[in-house]
Amino acid sequence: MEFAIETNELSKSYRDVRAVDSVNLRVKPGEIYGFLGLNGAGKTTTIRALLGMIRPSEGNIKVLGQAVGPHGRGPWARVGHLVESPSAYPELSVRENLEIARRLQNAFDKNATKRVIEQLGIAPYADRKAGTLSTGNLQRLGLARALLHEPELLLLDEPANGLDPAGVVEIRELLRELAHQQGVTVFMSSHILTEVDRLATRIGIIHKGKLIEELDADALEQLRSKYLVIKARDIKAAFSALKSSGYAISSDPNGSIRLSDRRAVDAPDEVAQVLVHAGTAPTHLAVVQENLEDHFLRLTNTEVR
Amino acid sequence: MTNFSSALRIEALKMFRSKVPLFTTIGFSMMPLVGGLFMVILKDPAAAKSMGLITTKAQLLTGTADWTSFFGFLAQAVAGGGMVLFSIITIWVFGREFSDHTLKELLALPTSRETIVTAKFIVLAIWSLVITILIFGVGLIVGNLVAIPGWSVELVRTSFISILGTAVLTIPLMSFVALLASIGRGYLPPFGWIIFIVLLADLSVILGWGDWFPWAVPGLFGGAGGGLREGLLGVHSYVILAIASVIGFVATYLWWRNADQTR
Repeated sequence: MEFAIETNELSKSYRDVRAVDSVNLRVKPGEIYGFLGLNGAGKTTTIRALLGMIRPSEGNIKVLGQAVGPHGRGPWARVGHLVESPSAYPELSVRENLEIARRLQNAFDKNATKRVIEQLGIAPYADRKAGTLSTGNLQRLGLARALLHEPELLLLDEPANGLDPAGVVEIRELLRELAHQQGVTVFMSSHILTEVDRLATRIGIIHKGKLIEELDADALEQLRSKYLVIKARDIKAAFSALKSSGYAISSDPNGSIRLSDRRAVDAPDEVAQVLVHAGTAPTHLAVVQENLEDHFLRLTNTEVR
Repeated sequence: MTNFSSALRIEALKMFRSKVPLFTTIGFSMMPLVGGLFMVILKDPAAAKSMGLITTKAQLLTGTADWTSFFGFLAQAVAGGGMVLFSIITIWVFGREFSDHTLKELLALPTSRETIVTAKFIVLAIWSLVITILIFGVGLIVGNLVAIPGWSVELVRTSFISILGTAVLTIPLMSFVALLASIGRGYLPPFGWIIFIVLLADLSVILGWGDWFPWAVPGLFGGAGGGLREGLLGVHSYVILAIASVIGFVATYLWWRNADQTR
């Protein structure tokens, strides 16, 4: 199978620091790959290496089936990117900045600039000098530039940076649409876990330069622990009713009952029935799922130790 | 070719939307104006004496108020000032990509890095030549307004060749400025370099080795040695200048192609 991104033992060292350590990435076409890591974990170094901006100390990289580098060689006409903080020529307008990028990208469609300006909602700022833009709008300009030539692969470093909450949702939907409707592969790094959680179909976690976990979003769903939280007016009566019905009560912090066994999580209605029959109807009953953040912290803490 | 013409147009747009053309034009235009002022002073020694130091300096530089002296002054201005002003253009054209953090937008593109670097060199060379021709034109106007004696078409022709030749010899040496703006990722290292190299060029001329020092060659071509360039420069001077420039160009291209870009 041809991967959109494939790295083999990719490593990058700066003197004594091993910024990226033997990373083997496999990103399938059409995937939205969330590349997670703390600050300094090696996300940006990996993205720069994928774009041929830095030379790997060891290993090799293939993007869209083509070897990257040496000398900056790569399938760049088919790749859109946004690396770190967005930048633009401050004395040129948003439109001029995009026109420059369009020409350098060899995108012959003259309507491309207009299209991305509208797509990213920056039409009101199109004729403003880029130097006067807010961080959020500069980020939108960066994303617009990445989309100009309708790339097959998007390499985005922290795409939600600087965006307001509405902007974050808007960009998330845009990326989802690109992936689902046009089959664009998205490789995005982030340290904002909720962002990745809601969008990615596959997740890679990088920690101290090493790819410590790679899993499908569905698998993550399975991996994350789920439990049922119950509150009742008479918590002791509820406790004994559930116990006598054979539920394993894992813990009861904050004066509530927590049931972790599969039977309870899969059929909370039965739990409610048990409680109602025992005359202690629940005042609160919710299935809670560990989020990516908990999973991530658990994982990276394990590694740190 | 499409890529190259696009890159060229883009570099030209970036240049002309900046303040660099304005500042370099103003900077360079000062030279014929100052030259004209010297001519005025030299033409009227009585008034000149009342101006003290300026008079002394004007006489030291040009001697007599005629077109030969005036063009000589312009050639020297292009040799000395050109090295600095062309460097400012080069430093801006290359260094701004680092200070504006726009370099990363130029690296992973179907347009090769070599194309972009070549476009940058061409734009800075064209602008450097344009402002050189401009100061020659301004010089002609100023000289006529001041009514300097000794005009001849032949003199204008040889002076034009001398001034333009000085610029043409200076421009290739900008490859080192471009290299240092790239390696130094900004403005300061190349500025330091150009101050150092101008001083070294002066020293080499004083010591009589100027014909062997590439950065002194444009000045000697413009007449800095106080004589005819045929006596000051040999074929070796031009060869050494060409070799130095090529080294600068190759190093710049290699750096853009191979260096890790982490900013």
